[in-house]
Amino acid sequence: MKFSSAGYLIKEGFKNIWNNRKMSLASIVVLVSCLIITGSASLISVNVSTLISKIGDDNELTVYLKYDLSDIDSIKIGPEIQKIKNIEQCTYYSKDEAIKEYKDTLGNIYESMQDEGNPFGNAYKIRLKDLSKYNDTVKQIKQINGVDSVSDRSDIAGKLTKLNYFVTLVGSWIVLILGIVTLFIISNTIKMTMYSRRYEISIMKSVGATNTFVRIPFIIEAMIIGLFSGLLAAGIIIAIYTPVRDAASGIVRLINTSTLTVGDIWLQTLLLMSGIGMIIGFAGGFISISKYLKKEGGEIIGW
Amino acid sequence: MIHLENVSKVYPNGTEALKNISIDIQDGEFVFIVGTSGAGKSTFLKLLMHEETATFGKIVVNGHNLMKIKKRRVPYLRRTMGIVFQDFRLIKNMNIFDNVAFAMRVIGTPEKDVKKTVYRVLELVGLKGKEKHRPGELSGGEQQRVSLARALVNNPKVIIADEPTGNIDPERSFEIMKILADINNQGTTVIVVTHEHDLVQEFGGRILRIDDGEIVEDKYLKTKYHKNTVSINNANSEINFEDDLSNGNEPSDNKNTIEEKEADA
Repeated sequence: MKFSSAGYLIKEGFKNIWNNRKMSLASIVVLVSCLIITGSASLISVNVSTLISKIGDDNELTVYLKYDLSDIDSIKIGPEIQKIKNIEQCTYYSKDEAIKEYKDTLGNIYESMQDEGNPFGNAYKIRLKDLSKYNDTVKQIKQINGVDSVSDRSDIAGKLTKLNYFVTLVGSWIVLILGIVTLFIISNTIKMTMYSRRYEISIMKSVGATNTFVRIPFIIEAMIIGLFSGLLAAGIIIAIYTPVRDAASGIVRLINTSTLTVGDIWLQTLLLMSGIGMIIGFAGGFISISKYLKKEGGEIIGW
Repeated sequence: MIHLENVSKVYPNGTEALKNISIDIQDGEFVFIVGTSGAGKSTFLKLLMHEETATFGKIVVNGHNLMKIKKRRVPYLRRTMGIVFQDFRLIKNMNIFDNVAFAMRVIGTPEKDVKKTVYRVLELVGLKGKEKHRPGELSGGEQQRVSLARALVNNPKVIIADEPTGNIDPERSFEIMKILADINNQGTTVIVVTHEHDLVQEFGGRILRIDDGEIVEDKYLKTKYHKNTVSINNANSEINFEDDLSNGNEPSDNKNTIEEKEADA
């Protein structure tokens, strides 16, 4: 192919979209629908993971120190706890703070109990980096001299870890299955487009067009359709994201504080969708036209 | 030049479309290929265009050995020939100018040369002023002339016309054949497959009759339309084709009678 043909071929790619506007429109509708479905499934999956992860972050544990441990000895234990790798945050919680909180919560009932003195020992409030390593971390904390016990949240830790794993796994499968379905639908749409253009391909070959010359306008056309569909799908998702999120927050309040905002997702959505659209266009166009390029003359048209 | 040597074509379903054909077509010849449906005419053309590959034998077209040609060289073989189809095969979304220009753009001709040549060729086939029309807005005869212009535009060594008058009325058919004869008189080899005996009789030239995959007749009929004499030396015989056809008889096989039909003044 000569360099002077490049401009002509690119122009042809654009012109073809208009000349075959019915098939182009059909391809865009199919591609936009598929991208919206797959994109929405991906966003739901990412948001559920974020939500679970944030619930895990809020899951605070209490390390109770031995009742008779002095305040100085209690404070010395803090750095030892922080040495453990999985500890994200460790805050001292003295017995005075504990009794004050208790008093605030119980009010009058506390007044009747005050003869019994402060029943609390010193403690630490800690947060873990990875909740799935709960058991190992608790075991290490308990080995520290002066630690009496750790609040048992193993059930919640286990459940959240399992839920997170489940959501990630199910989300990935849903996105994968929808992705495959999308590819099938898009591949069929491209096949239909190519079928309607087979006559043109046979003419191109009969006048001596090289395979590259035949292929380039089709691929450019498919990539433009893919890019346009990606941008359109991203635009629709971004536009409906906040209203859908607000509606969901009305049902589950946590969604409002623990999921991604439109500001967190718009750029990635736009780039990913347009990129995927273009790749689908390129791959679909390349594969489909190759089938016709292997054939000759009347065989292309089906005579 | 076209050279076929002991060429046979057997399709995968076992049909033997061509049987041990040997023939030479010299540059500048005007050749009619005639025969009944299924005789092997289309296969013959497909072999020349390399849409099909021969099962046995040797084929050389315009310097390309088609038994050894690499796939990526096939487009360059096709650029040495202009092909005219019975169904015109025009791109309906393109206007007439672009349909013709298309063949030049395929080979990377600069746009200013494209414009100049296309206008000239459209004038040659009598379609001046129709450049902006779409194929659907033209009559069958006009569409075939567009197809002819597209075949001519790259100045090919050979024009291959497969039933070029099959879809148009007799008057327009005559015009198309006249253009083909004129092209031939300027030195281009023209090969026409047709069923229309009247046209063969009128325009003459070298006549190859294919029957059941074999060339059963190779003869020359001189008419007023041909200035070139190259065929006279090449064909096996020269005959008065008119007599055979006007009597409703098929021309007899491998006639050796030399009866030159003089051009009618």
